[in-house]
Amino acid sequence: MSQSILGIGDYGAVKHPGGEVKTFALGSCVAAILLDPRTKAVGMVHVALPDSSINEAKARQRPGYFADLGLPLLIQEMARLGSPGNGRGLVVKLVGGASIMDHNDTFNIGKRNVLALKKYLWAYGLGPLAEDVGGNHSRTVSVFVDTGKVIVNCPGRGQWEV
Amino acid sequence: MSKVVDREAVRQAIEKLPLFSSAALQLLQVISDPDHELEDVVKIVKFDSALTMRVLKAVNSPVYGLVKEVTSIDRALSYLGERMVVSIAVQENTGPLFSKPLDGYQSEPGGLWRHDLFTAIASREVARYAKGNFDLDLAFTGGLLHDIGKSIFATFWKDASLEALGQIEQGIVSDYLMAEQDLAGLDHTEVGYEMARHWQLPESLQAVILHHHHPAEAIECMQPLVYAVHVGDIVSMMAGCDTGSDGLKYQLDPGYQEFFNLSPNALAEIVLNSEEEFSKAEASLVSQ
Ligand SMILES: [Fe+2]
Ligand SMILES: [Fe+2]
Repeated sequence: MSQSILGIGDYGAVKHPGGEVKTFALGSCVAAILLDPRTKAVGMVHVALPDSSINEAKARQRPGYFADLGLPLLIQEMARLGSPGNGRGLVVKLVGGASIMDHNDTFNIGKRNVLALKKYLWAYGLGPLAEDVGGNHSRTVSVFVDTGKVIVNCPGRGQWEV
Repeated sequence: MSKVVDREAVRQAIEKLPLFSSAALQLLQVISDPDHELEDVVKIVKFDSALTMRVLKAVNSPVYGLVKEVTSIDRALSYLGERMVVSIAVQENTGPLFSKPLDGYQSEPGGLWRHDLFTAIASREVARYAKGNFDLDLAFTGGLLHDIGKSIFATFWKDASLEALGQIEQGIVSDYLMAEQDLAGLDHTEVGYEMARHWQLPESLQAVILHHHHPAEAIECMQPLVYAVHVGDIVSMMAGCDTGSDGLKYQLDPGYQEFFNLSPNALAEIVLNSEEEFSKAEASLVSQ
């Protein structure tokens, strides 16, 4: 068993037996999760904002923070573990993107994150096989190498599989 | 509906809280005066040796990576900013209130401190987008104390949390604050307000604590400040820095638009800057 914990803007992939990639308390952030059924590799990026053009310095320091830069980097990570560099055949799941109650458009960063990720996935010819997004609850999510399962946890709601 | 919380018991728990030191109270008083100068803060800190020591420890924490050790309060303050000194004083004077787990909210130990510290930083970032003049450090201080009521309320709230979530889901109540009112007969903002009065905190801070979920109910002159913390609180929850089961289950009051120019890009900048400052602030305060 080994756990890789990702913070906001981090990305990572593993494929050793017992491996797990986990991120806590997504809020309006979105975890894009990639699974390769052939290599058994699993990866995740914890995206906070849709578009890196708002802050160039931060885009260089923490590219994984942004959907437009984070997704290609995660696909590269998967390629390092033997997946095709163009993302072909990867299974995608999206988790997170919650919002406050009664929000207006400005505050719907969660939805903008989900839409941005879908747009960049589409450029690779990919789309989510499953998603658990939106709502008014913050999610913690894990993906496991051995089972390929994506498990979501939420205070007061228990846990479930996506 | 049975009112599960005994108000008298809450009152007694608040009465038992130790008072703030005179240095800490003076500090909060001075900060809440928009015309104060850095020199006023320096004077207060210098007269309190415990506070002095902790401020110097914070500024010399490895997260700031200063090459030369800072040994004077003047330099420490101009480097850290008044807000870090306020954080240290508040942390010291509230003892275990911030660090114990919030059972009723299913929050980890330290969850309230992290949420309030993040909210403090985010409220200050929101205040930068104010249409009028704004005292940034006051927004910070308000954010730092806004949910202090949860520390006492959580012990009385216990396992009502699950019922609260059910009520929200079924649309019986419009948000978590209403669920608290409905199930307990009082909520964390009222408890916090009574704590602030017990501590004799400045009125502006009392207003923030009482009205942060319904800023329109604050008296007019306090509204810009209360709205800054209202939005800062929401940014903090959006960033995943909440206090457990109540996370994100509050309403946004669009009245903030009267006081702040917040475009989607501005909000994105606020999230970015807050998160960056938070990681540093948290690390330097933890290493105390
Ligand atoms: Fe609150
Ligand atoms: Fe809060």
